[in-house]
Amino acid sequence: MELVLTSLLNGVTYGLLLFMLSSGLTLIFSMMGVLNFAHASFYMLGAYFGYAISTKVGFYPALVVAPLAVGAIGAAVERHGLRRAHTSGHVSELLFTFGLAFVIAEAVRLVWGSTPVPYKVPASLDGPLFTLYESTFPTYKAFMMLVSVGMLAALYAGLTKTRVGLVIRAALTRPDMAEALGHDVPRVFMLVFGGGAALAGLAGVIGGNAFVTDPGMAESLGTIVFVVVVVGGLGSLTGAFVASLFIGIVQTFAVAMDYSWHGMSLSRVAPVLPYLIMVAMLIVRPRGLMGTRET
Amino acid sequence: MTAALELSGVQKRFGATEIVRGVDLRVEQGERHALIGPNGAGKSVLFHLISARYPISAGRIALNGETITGRKPHEINRRGLSRSFQVTNLFHRMTVFENVRCAVLWSLGYKYSFWRRVENLADANDRAREIVERIGLAARADVSAGILSYAEQRALEIGITIAGGANVILLDEPTAGMSRTETEAAVALIRRVTEGRTLLIVEHDMSVVFGLADRISVLVYGRIIATGTPEQIRADTKVREAYLGAEAANA
Amino acid sequence: MSPQARRRLLVWGGYAAVLVAAPLVFHKGFSLSLLCQMGIIIVFSLSYNMLLGQTGLLSFGHAVYYGMGALITIHALNLVQHGWKFPVTLMPLVGGAAGLFFGVVFGYITTRRAGTTFAMISLGIGEMMAACSLMFPGFFGGEAGISGNRSSGGAFLGITYGPQIQMYYLVAAWLLLSTAAMYALSRTPLGRMANAVRDNPERAQFVGYDPQHVRFMMVALSGFFAGIAGGLAALNYEIVTAESLSASTSGMVLLATYLGGIGFFAGPIAGAIVVTLMQTALGSITNAWPFYFGAMFLATVLFVPGGIASVAVLHKRFWDAKLLRRVIAVYAALAVPAALALGFSVLLVEMAYNASDESRSAFRVLGYVIDTTATATWVAAISSTLAAIAACGFTWRAVSARWAEVGAALAGERKP
Repeated sequence: MELVLTSLLNGVTYGLLLFMLSSGLTLIFSMMGVLNFAHASFYMLGAYFGYAISTKVGFYPALVVAPLAVGAIGAAVERHGLRRAHTSGHVSELLFTFGLAFVIAEAVRLVWGSTPVPYKVPASLDGPLFTLYESTFPTYKAFMMLVSVGMLAALYAGLTKTRVGLVIRAALTRPDMAEALGHDVPRVFMLVFGGGAALAGLAGVIGGNAFVTDPGMAESLGTIVFVVVVVGGLGSLTGAFVASLFIGIVQTFAVAMDYSWHGMSLSRVAPVLPYLIMVAMLIVRPRGLMGTRET
Repeated sequence: MTAALELSGVQKRFGATEIVRGVDLRVEQGERHALIGPNGAGKSVLFHLISARYPISAGRIALNGETITGRKPHEINRRGLSRSFQVTNLFHRMTVFENVRCAVLWSLGYKYSFWRRVENLADANDRAREIVERIGLAARADVSAGILSYAEQRALEIGITIAGGANVILLDEPTAGMSRTETEAAVALIRRVTEGRTLLIVEHDMSVVFGLADRISVLVYGRIIATGTPEQIRADTKVREAYLGAEAANA
Repeated sequence: MSPQARRRLLVWGGYAAVLVAAPLVFHKGFSLSLLCQMGIIIVFSLSYNMLLGQTGLLSFGHAVYYGMGALITIHALNLVQHGWKFPVTLMPLVGGAAGLFFGVVFGYITTRRAGTTFAMISLGIGEMMAACSLMFPGFFGGEAGISGNRSSGGAFLGITYGPQIQMYYLVAAWLLLSTAAMYALSRTPLGRMANAVRDNPERAQFVGYDPQHVRFMMVALSGFFAGIAGGLAALNYEIVTAESLSASTSGMVLLATYLGGIGFFAGPIAGAIVVTLMQTALGSITNAWPFYFGAMFLATVLFVPGGIASVAVLHKRFWDAKLLRRVIAVYAALAVPAALALGFSVLLVEMAYNASDESRSAFRVLGYVIDTTATATWVAAISSTLAAIAACGFTWRAVSARWAEVGAALAGERKP
């Protein structure tokens, strides 16, 4: 019972983190039709910037500065890179984000080395928050949940209540119409891309010290995020939310419980599971659970 | 005699919006049938339903008596129905000749074969050359389709549509955006190439419609309000009200 | 003989002649293995371009067909060692058959969708197979890999394939055959319709073709040729590890093909040669070579999406139009700032690598030792780089008018 509850809480925390990443990816995909392979790379940059800033200045400043820095990088990438690739066609855009992910990972390796960096949870947030039966629930995990929920609530409010949000939602489904009405759609694109990157960066700042921070983190988390987005449905935020929680909880449970079946333990098969789910979903129902478009 | 094309109770809904609200249409063999109506009436959507670009919401479509509702576009094409597009839809990186040759390959039985070079297929090459001449693009045969003039592209569009030898031809606004001279040339071409075949054409240019069609159907708000010969349609008060009335006022 | 036939003979004859003569020109011990490596990657890249350039299918998992081809071949080679009578010369066909088999199986699954969805399924399947290879080390070889001996078939007309030179001519022969086959394929009804499906899948439907079936057949056939490349690799290296199925191998063939130019049949040949050379040359000079590769790839995507082949074709046009001299003048003006900018950027990258490297060795530039941890050094390096980039920008603005002129002149020359 206790295992179920702790795993559930951990799973939800992880799932919320996944949603922070997949929501940005979904927004970018819905609006610009581009599947951003470099999205998890922004998460990684957020973690590394968070590490660099928190060791020099402190964790709380890092919480603000790192996402902004990553967001700025994202906006610059959109403005100078993606926009240019867009003119050469769909394949070029995909290849650009693919190459970008690779270059960012290598750049991180160049600057910080190939081994994980000691990005630690700040002392003020370290330690148990409450005890459930016999296991403790760390304060930091609660903090992560708080930040995730707060950020997503802000995102929701921003999209539904502000004028900019309205323009974004319009450009989401009818970019040419939004542009014809006089809105600077390229500027909106840059905002959405930068915003998505900043969101991923924030997830990196809070996630990087809870999980490991090394140059391979983008690749491992990136694939999970893809699975989430595909399963939830390309283009659907609600789908991404449901799928994030689902996959977050399933993965946490799979690691926590260690069933063995025909000599094959669950943890051994675990790496393949996300891909199997994704491939199965893409074959059976490419629209995903709640998606509105296929490509 | 079996109708070339028969639509019964065809409906199409996009979400909550009903575009096609129950269309019954009968196009006889060898007939030249025009489909007219105000903008937004659902004419192009109807074409998309017949050619299976969009799935039908309700009703039945039959080609030469055989139900084709629910079939895939290439299956319908192989059964003898071919269509052109309102927005030019060519293989823009291939030359005019190659475009037409691609259009004849299936009908000559070559399917997915990969053991004979396409240059050595005498019948495909002859047929393609003949069609390129018929559509008047013999002088531009080796030009990339993407850089042709608009009227030339429309002519090529028609050429690809008839190249496969389909018996039922659907033309979606073939003369859209053309000048008077170009339109006349296009109409002459259409009349030539659809000799002996069944034609269903969507058009806005009334001179084309009245000059070309044996029978006309009028589509307004997703429903056919009248079908008949050009004279009958001209005289029909409902039609005048809904459509030709506005036309006459602007003419 | 017609001019086309004469030209065709010249091209293919020249190609064969180059393949035969290459080891005579490049005979230093190491060059022979490099030539073999190049030949294998060329076949692999050409097979990939059947999907990307000819059918418009972006795949992130093409290494699966290469890897499985290699794996089945090495197992077959071990069977030969245990008595199975099968000529080693024909071993690549075993690889091809394996590639074809998986091409059919995975092709059927993946081609039901196109575009982004196809790319993602291919990624998923690639990762899945790579994960499998670590999960079932018995068959896949795991980390250690599976080894074989290509001379185990005994001598045939005195050929054992033991010496590298014999291996080279085997690679060259299969390379010539595969290139000819893939080229011929592009001229068949299937090949033409693959192009049609790439350009306009909807139109292809309305001339009677099922785009899904066309894609399926192209995936299966490209799997066949990738499998041949894999078979050659198994014979050449005499070992097959999980690396050949990995995402990095898929990425490498994507880079090689795209760099070479996906719009031309021979493009991937150039790309494969360049990438192999760079991998060997760069790999021995600097440890930051993956970064350079990635940067080069990004630059190609952004600035030269047509690849090396498109640059070559463009300059041939300049030559034909007698504009080449003016073009070279523009390049000459840009040469110095561009070289400086490139040089300083490389310096920055190498400094970064050195600074983060635990086993920090002395960093030498032109004989001077530089302290890569000192802030002053970094400030100097970064400002020099920015200055050089700015100089490039200025020079470009100055000559861009001339460049536009040349472009316009060329467009005027081009007949519609």
